[in-house]
Amino acid sequence: MEMALALDDLKDIQKEKTLLVQKTVRSGQCIRFEGNVVVLGDVNPGAEIAAAGHVAVFGALRGLVHAGAKGDKEAVIIALSLEPTQLRIADHITRPPDGGNWEASSFPEIAHIQDNMVVIDRYLPSK
Amino acid sequence: MGEVLVITSGKGGVGKTTTTANIGTGLALMGKKVVMLDTDIGLRNLDVVLGLENRIVYDLVDVVWGNCRLKQALIKDKRFENMFLLPAAQTKDKTAITASQMRELCANLQEEFDYVIIDCPAGIEHGFKNAIAGAKQAIVVTTPEVSAVRDADRIIGLLEAAGLKAPKLIINRIRSRMVQAGDMMSIEDIMDILAVDLLGIVPDDDFIVVSTNRGEPAVLDERSLAGQAYRNISKRIMGEEIPLLNIQEKTGFWQKIRQAFGNR
Repeated sequence: MEMALALDDLKDIQKEKTLLVQKTVRSGQCIRFEGNVVVLGDVNPGAEIAAAGHVAVFGALRGLVHAGAKGDKEAVIIALSLEPTQLRIADHITRPPDGGNWEASSFPEIAHIQDNMVVIDRYLPSK
Repeated sequence: MGEVLVITSGKGGVGKTTTTANIGTGLALMGKKVVMLDTDIGLRNLDVVLGLENRIVYDLVDVVWGNCRLKQALIKDKRFENMFLLPAAQTKDKTAITASQMRELCANLQEEFDYVIIDCPAGIEHGFKNAIAGAKQAIVVTTPEVSAVRDADRIIGLLEAAGLKAPKLIINRIRSRMVQAGDMMSIEDIMDILAVDLLGIVPDDDFIVVSTNRGEPAVLDERSLAGQAYRNISKRIMGEEIPLLNIQEKTGFWQKIRQAFGNR
């Protein structure tokens, strides 16, 4: 059965500052922020986002995103299309399987830490 | 003590990174312990061509700045135990490191590896100077185009001025049919101008495009003519005497007839 993580399960993000990035983040560009980051655009391969809190990408996430960069293991990464080069949450690092045969799903996904592992689930705004 | 080779060209797009990936993989294929260094800070590509992009955690700049140990930044290849990559940083620029830092880094790597292969950025500025700082030998890549050969000539002059004597030449992307038809500079034309030792010639091969995009160096493919060329080049670097590849394309019956009528 597919697990789903809903909005209610997320750590309260309203107490932290949130940066709204209103563009596509391209290769070589780097966004660092002491809070949450929301990107209204894509994150391309070679681009980096590092946030102390959550990261949400309203577009395709193809680059590198580090959520909870200051060590917050409850931080999550949400993207409309999750096809990253690498994902990092707190001190965990993951990458897609070798071979390149996997396909990005057609629904939003969320990456979070569960049982000391980064897992990726379908993202449902409400249960 | 290993050898430190820099692969450079002056002009962009002639195949420095592809050459680095293939020579590095070729040497690893022969059992040598190899590390490839991407010095194109801000425009890194070597990791993509080798299919190792998603393994990068630390990079060259992190090592030089002391953010991590050298061992932590070295990425072990997924095919060969004895092949490593030190990737460039993507979110910094060429001024992030200095020539003396590169010299120190190369000296450290040289202790550990049989071959240290440096992928140089295009141009003759800061990035080029950094890339050649720690090298003991240079390989210049060019294509049979007047502009690429002009830039190669400039680079050879700069390399000699920097104390890298007797650079070796690789002529990349030769199309034998165009050379035969007199539409492309021939190897002889290029050697006349550049007058350095020829390390190898690489035919234009559609397979290179596929292999570069897949992150699988062509040198690993037995069927690829360019792959064969790179295997030969790797052997020559190791000191073997290998004759130049015969890159004449096999001409079919109809092609011969067309050629007879001057239609190539």
